[in-house]
Amino acid sequence: MFSIIFNKKSAKASGVIGLNERNIKLIYPNNPKRHYPLADDKVLTKEILHQYNIPCAETYAVIEYNSDIKEAWKSCKHYNSVAIKPANGCGGGGIKILKKNKKGDWMSNGEMITDRQVFQHMASIIMGFFSLGSHDRVLIEECIEPHPFFCEIYPQGVPDFRIITLNKVPLMGMLRMPTDRSDGKANLHQNGVGIGIDMKEGRLLEVYDGKEYSNHHPDSTFLVNGTPIPYWKEILKIAVATAKAFPLNYLGIDIVIDKNKGPQIMEINVRPGLGIQLVNKTGLNEVIKRAI
Amino acid sequence: MNSKTNLKISLTLIIIVAIISIGLKVKPILNNYDDFNSEEVYKINYRFFFKSGDKNTSLKTYVPRSNSRQRISKENIKNDSTLSFVKKEEIGQNIRAIWNTKDKNTYHSVNYEFVFEGKDRNFKIPKIFNVASGKYRKYLKSTQNIQSDNEIINGLATQLGQNTKNDKEVIKNIFDYVYAIPSAPIITLTDAVTTIEQNRASCNGKSRLLVALCRNLGYPARIKGGIIVESTDKRTSHAWSEILINETWVPFDALNNHFGYLPANYLEIYHGDKSLITHTSGIQFDYTYKMDQVQHISFLKMNSEELHDLPGFSLWYLIDKNVVPTGALHLLLLLPIGGFLVAFLRNIVGLKTFGVFLPVLIAFSLLHTGFVSGIVIFVGLIMFIGLISYPFDKLGLLYTPKLVISLTTMVSVILLATHFGIKNDIEWLTKLTFFPIIILTISAERFSRSTLEDGYINAIDKLFQTLIATSISYLILSFSWLPSVLVLFPEIALLIIALSTLLGRYIGIRWVELFRFKPLLKAGK
Repeated sequence: MFSIIFNKKSAKASGVIGLNERNIKLIYPNNPKRHYPLADDKVLTKEILHQYNIPCAETYAVIEYNSDIKEAWKSCKHYNSVAIKPANGCGGGGIKILKKNKKGDWMSNGEMITDRQVFQHMASIIMGFFSLGSHDRVLIEECIEPHPFFCEIYPQGVPDFRIITLNKVPLMGMLRMPTDRSDGKANLHQNGVGIGIDMKEGRLLEVYDGKEYSNHHPDSTFLVNGTPIPYWKEILKIAVATAKAFPLNYLGIDIVIDKNKGPQIMEINVRPGLGIQLVNKTGLNEVIKRAI
Repeated sequence: MNSKTNLKISLTLIIIVAIISIGLKVKPILNNYDDFNSEEVYKINYRFFFKSGDKNTSLKTYVPRSNSRQRISKENIKNDSTLSFVKKEEIGQNIRAIWNTKDKNTYHSVNYEFVFEGKDRNFKIPKIFNVASGKYRKYLKSTQNIQSDNEIINGLATQLGQNTKNDKEVIKNIFDYVYAIPSAPIITLTDAVTTIEQNRASCNGKSRLLVALCRNLGYPARIKGGIIVESTDKRTSHAWSEILINETWVPFDALNNHFGYLPANYLEIYHGDKSLITHTSGIQFDYTYKMDQVQHISFLKMNSEELHDLPGFSLWYLIDKNVVPTGALHLLLLLPIGGFLVAFLRNIVGLKTFGVFLPVLIAFSLLHTGFVSGIVIFVGLIMFIGLISYPFDKLGLLYTPKLVISLTTMVSVILLATHFGIKNDIEWLTKLTFFPIIILTISAERFSRSTLEDGYINAIDKLFQTLIATSISYLILSFSWLPSVLVLFPEIALLIIALSTLLGRYIGIRWVELFRFKPLLKAGK
């Protein structure tokens, strides 16, 4: 009866890790809680990345107080595009991508945006509108432009690689891509798709949409399965470098490939999800066993 | 030894101590199991004072007997030696206590004490009644005060019996009519016809009218007399009606709106259109009923001292001495149980809930409001909050002030609904007392927070899972014996700590993950 309630066998055989095991065996012993802010706060993450010279979007400005908004924005105006983010935002809320059009006016989502609107947005980030009421900081950084490699698979939004590392060793990876249904988001639970990765060869595997596996992105005919990933060696290299730079031993590292600058670290996660196992059709325990 | 081993040893010790302590109490408790399971227990004392007259003086009163829903015990009579006492059963099955004295112009006092244990009784009324047998003929007759063959009664009864499909509807019409008559504290005798004419009555007028209307339409009916027992001293007795339905006397109280239902604190004393107390006329006489609620454990035949003498540790002292209000104590005792349940649902089953104790607290509010109406009110209010937050989201308000807006709206809506419910006599709208309001408010806050953090769809999903956890908690918490068991065996708290330790170290796959990782798990096999 206990084996039915606690259904241990089937999980053991498959090497799948559930939330309980992830928390007790991977997160609690490897990620000390006091270091969480280094991953949760984008500004702190980037400070460390810059310190170790790990490639990531250039930081243009960090704004902590309303009084600094005008000055900071002025210093950014000569760029052609910027990304404005709350340091502690959740679920991608509050992120604004601004680009100059030919006339030199700032555009957001295809619409013109005035300086006043930009100030207002930054002020609401600082007042905690996107971080549940707690004071927050604004991060203005370089705008990443996806590598053309991704366009062939799916042209919209910003796809990213998720690499899971344990004790500085990359265990598993996947490529997350937006779809027509995901509103530009690449997260699996927001209708994005995950594509498995052959870590040794640096090739893409099957596409998993949350229900089924296929060899194509649901919205294109490009054959994904078997495609080599550009810059794969660099990707692994910066993932390991990142894992070494942080006092956190179990990480989900998000990486994008910029058109001009190659692989860049986007952000790191201390509680990476477990869906990656489904995408790669492999249990994490299985991979951990092999890695040791 | 490292701290882990130390912890293991102390946990094992705790469990052993808990089990021994529980074991000590099991036997005396099992030996005293009481299958009567009364809900309320009172010590009741009839206290009479009178001055005898010039001739022989007598005082008579009805006294209750045990039946399937009330138990009368520990009868104790104290009176002065000059009084002679007899207890007589009348032909109609009522029992009468009679005190006689030959002393003239002297003061006497009588204390008639007993313990009353009561349960409530809910009767299901069938649509069609069988015709009553001939032995109940006397319950169809017209009497001086129950004028069932009177023209006015006849007219009214005919009118109430019209356009009905079955017996139940007839009874319901009669009941509703009598219930709608405004109640008034009239202490003089009111007969059935007068009740219609005055269009106001107390329990005795209403019960007589209800009986008269039933009898007129051929349903055997009778008056039932007794006392509504409360922890207080009072002089008022109560009368209600009984209708014979398929050989069973079913209670109806058209004053307090009990249709086929008798609450636990109704003490049944006699039936028939009688007075509870009668005495020789022209004497000085006064009386009160002194009633004290006795704390008890419903499934035990033990009195307070015996419970105090139980070996090991129990919380009976807190109950007996009213240190903490019983409801609050039960809440405190049940919280760990509910919390453990939710922990199980989260870590083994994999339900996502708003907080650990929130489903338990919502389940508690449901105990106040009733399950279905509680769930409806709960979901309704939360959806309402969701709708309210939407326009304010658009306005781009900060989180905390927006929360204040939705909470204020919520409290206003609850108060308006309660007001509306009371004015229009809609019972389910009036059930939100202070505690449920607080809990609902917190839940709504969590929900609106979740809509921001996880989006609407995930928030609704989480709400749904919270409701599942709430329903399961409700099911467990609504066992009325559970708090009493926890009062007797507070060691269960230690076992919960031990079980939670095990649960806290459980690394297996959750049930919902079985579905999530199905493709992989299959491959593993």
